[in-house]
Amino acid sequence: MAWNFELVAGPCKGRTGGLAWDGKGMLFSAVAEERILRYDPASGKTEAFRKWSGRTNGIAIAKDGTVFGAQEGGRRVIHFLTDGSTAPTQELLDGAHHNQPVDVVVDSRGRVWIADPYNSQPPFGPPAYPFLPHASVLRMDNVGPRMWRLARITHDTLGPRAVMLSADEKTLYVADGDVERGDVCQLFAYPLNAHGSAGHCRTLLTFAAVERGIEGMCLDSDGNIIACLGWKKSGSGPAVIVVSPGGTILETHPAPADMPMRCAFGDAGLGSLYVTAGDGGLYRAQGIGRRGLKR
Amino acid sequence: MHGSLETLKVEVDLCAPGWERIIDPSPPVDIIARDIIFGEGPTWDARNKQLFFTDIIGDTIWKWKPGVGQEAVLAPSVKANGTCLDLENRLVVAGWGGRTVFRLEKDGTWKTLADKWQGKKLNSPNDIVVKSDGSVWFTDPPGGLLNVGMVGHDLQRYLETQPVFRISPDGKDLTVVTEDNIYPNGLCFSPDEKILYVNCSRERVIRAYDVKADGSVGKARVFHQYSGPERGVPDGLKCDVAGNVWCTAPGGIWVHDPSGKPVVRIKTEGHHPTNIAFGDDDWKSLYITMIGSVVRTRINIAGMPSR
Repeated sequence: MAWNFELVAGPCKGRTGGLAWDGKGMLFSAVAEERILRYDPASGKTEAFRKWSGRTNGIAIAKDGTVFGAQEGGRRVIHFLTDGSTAPTQELLDGAHHNQPVDVVVDSRGRVWIADPYNSQPPFGPPAYPFLPHASVLRMDNVGPRMWRLARITHDTLGPRAVMLSADEKTLYVADGDVERGDVCQLFAYPLNAHGSAGHCRTLLTFAAVERGIEGMCLDSDGNIIACLGWKKSGSGPAVIVVSPGGTILETHPAPADMPMRCAFGDAGLGSLYVTAGDGGLYRAQGIGRRGLKR
Repeated sequence: MHGSLETLKVEVDLCAPGWERIIDPSPPVDIIARDIIFGEGPTWDARNKQLFFTDIIGDTIWKWKPGVGQEAVLAPSVKANGTCLDLENRLVVAGWGGRTVFRLEKDGTWKTLADKWQGKKLNSPNDIVVKSDGSVWFTDPPGGLLNVGMVGHDLQRYLETQPVFRISPDGKDLTVVTEDNIYPNGLCFSPDEKILYVNCSRERVIRAYDVKADGSVGKARVFHQYSGPERGVPDGLKCDVAGNVWCTAPGGIWVHDPSGKPVVRIKTEGHHPTNIAFGDDDWKSLYITMIGSVVRTRINIAGMPSR
């Protein structure tokens, strides 16, 4: 079954990135425009959710309606509060500044999982902080009002680009590796114990050396992974794939544009798949025969 | 992210004729402060013979007195950035992460001078200067909401532009001086206060404005456009008594004559200067705040007194 993507918003200047469905509209990051936009499928209109977001990429909505953002430019995870202000979180891991977060998810306990890779685009301000000697998945736990504790979760990643939790939150999926840095890109699954630390990872997918790996992913209602990957430059091209929890590629669809970035389900019953891309568009495919996982 | 202080040398290059009146070829280096993360906001307090400076990331306003040592004035400091002294010798601070301009009162309390423009929070006041009529002028770029490690409580920007602001001498009016700059950073007046210099870190330019009697300014003219591949952007900005304009900029501290032409560049290889202040009794010491330290060297021309 072919997936028919239509451009519903944009193109924005530069790439678009993170997505989050708020129940009625799709928030998405216009990363290079330093804005977070909201597409309302009922009206077809797109409006700014937040301006001056500092190259925020991955976004995640918490239970209380606040939004976490991976702010690449500021090397931090920021917290968009409902009064319109934006709070910092914890930027230090054991006293050292973390790298350049690109993706976040929030679990049912309010813990924030962060993909913290190195990045080709330099951060804002003078270079006063060195980067960490590792690029890992981090987890941030709330320990009081505006107080967070940061912990390292993975110890074997090269530079995670996307993070996601399984429906039961017992598995952490990590898309690792940046082909532009010469990494071999892989998709890992880590079993999580009750305290949220990760066990030995299973490698679900390993991509060829020239292949741009997974940049963003989401879950369908059957627990399959929908993932954006690939580019025109090399390999088998830009695509959106469906991967079983065991690592079998079930479907491959051409992406609506080069450098597909991230994806999320939205619309009534989470029946449509939205995709962002390197061309700055927000694309939607309706009636793809799959629905998003309702958390 | 800087070299060893033990091997720090102050050197000069880009020497134009007459540069020797500015500085010697191998000036001395004194290390004033070592254990700071991001030095900024240096101001010499002539009345008390001491230097104020800030450590933005270390979140402290410091003072250092020759022969006595270093003492914290305020910590946490809302990630304070630029400082200056007003007509009553009170320290006035560009509150950067805290998004306010505030003043150290004689009784030791802190008074907010500006925190909002038309009901909206300021961006993040960066550098600041007091004119001889008592008005307070400051730049308001958004770096204190964005820069790695240098931010405060609320990181949301609300203002559409990045103004240079002026607080009237009576403290009652906050007005926009100019919105020309994409990222205004350092600012200073010429010795006769007829010209306001503002640098823009994004465009790597110093602009000059004629100052009018009512506190407004005329149209901007380009005083100097930095180009070239060297790292760094215009940041701190000060004038000496001859009207030369000193700017921490790509590759070091540039000294421009009043026409904008570079006279000499002062280099601190391996160390990144952020701002400067003239000081000591003859105003011929140059205090340099850097990433990781504050140092002092000697120059051949007196700086404009900071009060």
